[in-house]
Amino acid sequence: MSKDKDGNTAALGRELDAWLRGDHSRRAVLRQVLAASGYAALGGTLSAGVTQAAVELASPDTPLGRVQAAAVRASTEGPQNGSAYRAVQAARKFKGVTLGMTYEAGLQALEPRNFSGPLWQQLTGMSYNVVELSHPDQYAKPIAEHIAQSGAYDTLDIEPAWIPSLADGGVIAPIDDFVAKYMNMADLEDYHPLYKFLPTYKGKRWGFFDDGDQLALYYRRDVFEDSKLRAAYQAKFNRALRVPQGWDEYAETAQFITDQLAPKVYGAVHFRKAGSPGNQYGFMQEYRANGGVLFDGAMRAQIAGEAGVRTMRQMLAANKGSVPGNDDLDAVAAWVAWLQGKAAMLYSWPPTGRMSENYSQRDKAVNFVPHSAIAGNVGYAVMPGGNGEMASGYVKALAADSANPEAAYLFMQWVTSPPVSLVRVMLPYTLRDPYRMSHYNSPDYRALWPASKEYLSTLAEAANGGVVDMIMPGWQDYALSLDQMCTSVWAGTDPHAALTKAAAEWDAITDKIGVDSQRAAYQQFLKLPGSAANHTIATMGLAVHAN
Amino acid sequence: MSVVRRRRWTGRLRFLAIAAALLYVLLPLYWVAVTSIKPSDDYLAVPPVWFPAHPTLVHYAAALFAYRGLAGLSHSVTVALGATLLSVLLGTPMGYSLARFRTGGTHLAFWVLSQRFLPPVAIGLPIFLLYRNYGLYDTQAGLVLVYTVMTLPLTVWMMFAYFRQLPRELEDAARVDGCGWWQAFLRVAIPLALPGIAAAAVFAFITVWTEFFFALILTSRHAFTLPTVFRSFISFQGAQYGESSALAMVSLVPSILLGVLVQRHLVRGLTLGAVRG
Amino acid sequence: MTPLAPSVFLPTGARGRTAGGGRAAWLERRIGLLLVAPAVLLILALSVYPLLYSLWVSFVNYDFLVPGHAFVGLRNFASVIADPIARSSLATTVVLSAIDVAMEFALGLGLALAMARPFAGRGLVTSVLIVPLFISPVIVGQFWALLLQRPFGPTDYVLGILLGQPVTINWLSGFPWNFLALILADVWQWTPFMFVILSAGLTAIPDEPYEAAEIDGVNGWQAFRYITLPQLVPMILLAVTFRLLDAIKLFDVIFMMTGGGPGTSTYTASFFLYELGFQHFHLSEATAGSWLFLLLTAAAVTFLVRRLLRAEAAQ
Repeated sequence: MSKDKDGNTAALGRELDAWLRGDHSRRAVLRQVLAASGYAALGGTLSAGVTQAAVELASPDTPLGRVQAAAVRASTEGPQNGSAYRAVQAARKFKGVTLGMTYEAGLQALEPRNFSGPLWQQLTGMSYNVVELSHPDQYAKPIAEHIAQSGAYDTLDIEPAWIPSLADGGVIAPIDDFVAKYMNMADLEDYHPLYKFLPTYKGKRWGFFDDGDQLALYYRRDVFEDSKLRAAYQAKFNRALRVPQGWDEYAETAQFITDQLAPKVYGAVHFRKAGSPGNQYGFMQEYRANGGVLFDGAMRAQIAGEAGVRTMRQMLAANKGSVPGNDDLDAVAAWVAWLQGKAAMLYSWPPTGRMSENYSQRDKAVNFVPHSAIAGNVGYAVMPGGNGEMASGYVKALAADSANPEAAYLFMQWVTSPPVSLVRVMLPYTLRDPYRMSHYNSPDYRALWPASKEYLSTLAEAANGGVVDMIMPGWQDYALSLDQMCTSVWAGTDPHAALTKAAAEWDAITDKIGVDSQRAAYQQFLKLPGSAANHTIATMGLAVHAN
Repeated sequence: MSVVRRRRWTGRLRFLAIAAALLYVLLPLYWVAVTSIKPSDDYLAVPPVWFPAHPTLVHYAAALFAYRGLAGLSHSVTVALGATLLSVLLGTPMGYSLARFRTGGTHLAFWVLSQRFLPPVAIGLPIFLLYRNYGLYDTQAGLVLVYTVMTLPLTVWMMFAYFRQLPRELEDAARVDGCGWWQAFLRVAIPLALPGIAAAAVFAFITVWTEFFFALILTSRHAFTLPTVFRSFISFQGAQYGESSALAMVSLVPSILLGVLVQRHLVRGLTLGAVRG
Repeated sequence: MTPLAPSVFLPTGARGRTAGGGRAAWLERRIGLLLVAPAVLLILALSVYPLLYSLWVSFVNYDFLVPGHAFVGLRNFASVIADPIARSSLATTVVLSAIDVAMEFALGLGLALAMARPFAGRGLVTSVLIVPLFISPVIVGQFWALLLQRPFGPTDYVLGILLGQPVTINWLSGFPWNFLALILADVWQWTPFMFVILSAGLTAIPDEPYEAAEIDGVNGWQAFRYITLPQLVPMILLAVTFRLLDAIKLFDVIFMMTGGGPGTSTYTASFFLYELGFQHFHLSEATAGSWLFLLLTAAAVTFLVRRLLRAEAAQ
């Protein structure tokens, strides 16, 4: 897609809107439609081929424009020992090669199409092909392509928790040799420590972490500071209203706010719908905050124990104090309710902070959420109990069947390098979230809205106490079982019965993959920071803070 | 109760039933149409916004141009046309052969019919595994072949039924006049069967145009069709209501127009020619 | 209009047969084979061969999480049969498709009767009523998800106004509403199928019996019961058979509306096999399950088509 075409599309949209409002001549619209249909014909013939594009750059006097200019400078002028510069230099010999790169369909894919793809092409002469996949297909399709031996993909956006399955299955390749050859190790140190360790498995590095999906608690300062509400809370509980510090308190606070303010504002809102994105994250987060252990020595699932039942009880209580229809909401619907001011608390991914301040909505692509009615009133906190899930996240991994692994690796190094990744986590429409210390400390990011400094340091703190998804072979199977368990409980199944059933499913999965190999994988997972509430970056004494 | 009063009463009931059916059919269509032009600020309004104060076409522009809608549309058109053509090209001679020469007796005819009832998931898995050997995975050609097989029972049986009702005498006369069987088929039977062929083609096209399962499992980068793009708006985080509605509108207009166009042949199409319309 | 085109379901003897034996018949057989060959070969290559191949897959280990293709005998079949989700999804398939088809039949018949007598605008109304037949089932699923899903869909709000009190039904995630939602969507799409076929059947019934009945003072219900229904039986069987054989493949609407949830309560056989095979790549188990499903389907086809043929023969 070319810049002209983009401009044309936007212009077309404006013209048609104007026409609908009745303030434009029909002819102007028809002209635009004709122009667009010309592109439509072109689009048809070009669609299977390589899409060429120009880089979309913001005005250089904006924070985004400044970091974009810095990224271009770092890629072309150096410092010459920077990972971005080295990657571009080495990549020039692959001029003419086309890289197939998987991204999640929708907003995630707009970034490589509008920014990093075309810029890489200008810098190196390589072409690129953005393959848009739905999230579950980001796991399934690379496997399908590997089974089909098509070599269609070069770089993959995958969940860290898929690394064991994909590595053992031969779908992805380790990148240690390339790292030794090309990487500036200081840039590896720039990662938040939680994310630095995530892409390692069986002693090898399987990609670069590339999306800091750390859950944090977003709350309405205006609600929590409301004097009438505070007085009522004091009267009822004999203590001051505060942002909840534990999961029982969270449900209790949500219920209290709902009782006081509904239907104007409800205590909380959650995404609890099956599969969008699924309840495995919420369950794993609270289960481990409750001290839950996943497996015993014989690798039998422990989720049906006391911690599991307690987790389900807390989640049910939280549902009860939430926006009506809570159990049917996916993440976008939860955002919509939140942005319209319907909820006092929402735990979710970092885009929540950017949308709340209307930073995201300035981009035309972000038209699936409304404008924020709560800008300026949003506070940030680590999760109740302090252990927020690093829910999903993305690792940029190297496809084992790539015909050009070195070229693919160089793109991975460049696109995740500090200056380039900073742009990618700052683009208004992006769903890619900060993960480097240089992101958290960026003066330009901190200039995006009044509270953005607080936002960034909260994200860094949340990762210090963050727990990670179960990075083991078969995670997709275990996760599906959890999601099904939770949704059946929302629909009325007894929590203990549902947990027992899920535990039996977990055991069947473990047996199928092999108890011994899973035990070894579990032992290894336990060593990763964030595997348990008592084994986080913070408890290991590795905590870092934004300055 | 007198006959007249009973008549009036059943007449009203009849009217009510038809009105209710129309409402039932139109309500979802209306809601999707209106969602496709709603600004996102109107999504969750209470009471619901039945018609937006500021209708917008941004969702259409985004679905088609910013996302992959246009490419999906172009693949859908190519694949549907290709499969329709192939299905008619192969199905018409077979239908003719079954009708005129009773080739294979009833067994062959029913064997073809039985393909219509195969669960797609049963052949989807092995086809996925085999396509990598054929180099057909994620190609439009691969989809065309699968869809041809999927629509062959329809075209074969519709043409089978059609040729059986055509009088054989004209072809016999042509052959008495010195035409070979091939020319009798091409010059006499085919022109007479054109309306039937057109109807079969339209039903094959609609079948392919609306198919989702094979497109889902056999494509990723090069051959994705409109329904799979549609699916990608229902993402990890949730649905992009406006975009998916806009794309739904784009997808359903051609097939509805075609369908209403061949309404006369609908009975035949739905029953694979077993019932003559 | 003829109810059944010259009885295509029955071997009809001489009608297609040409006179004269010897060389002419031999030539015709050759020509006949030539004309069917391309279609038959394509079906063999893309349907029969894959099925045979999948038979091999179902007897070996073919699993993304477990390397190698060792022969495992009946283990894949055993593990699918033992899987409680497989059994519940089969049960869901049977129950859902039975309810779907029964409702589609009842509503389709009612609509066909209501539309039987001409009135102004009948053509236009018919055109509108058949529209759902031409829409992709994925999109139909999304239609109903949009309409029903809280808080986006207006359904609960409208119900609340009609009932005079707030309605908070979880249409997609609460039992039994989720099943009702799935049925609403399927019935929406396929009632026109019944309507169209049964209308054709009604039109084909001659007027004479009704005229005679009118003279005898027979009331409307009796006329329906003793004249209309018996004449309609072959059409009813045909419509129900065709529809039932499609309904048991139910996949798209599940995929879009409930994703099989809550829990696995709305898994159908097709959705279960898709999840097993294409999301989690337990390919050999999924193929074994497919074969079992295929055999069950084949049994249903045989049974239903036999019934259909017998009914037609009885006419």
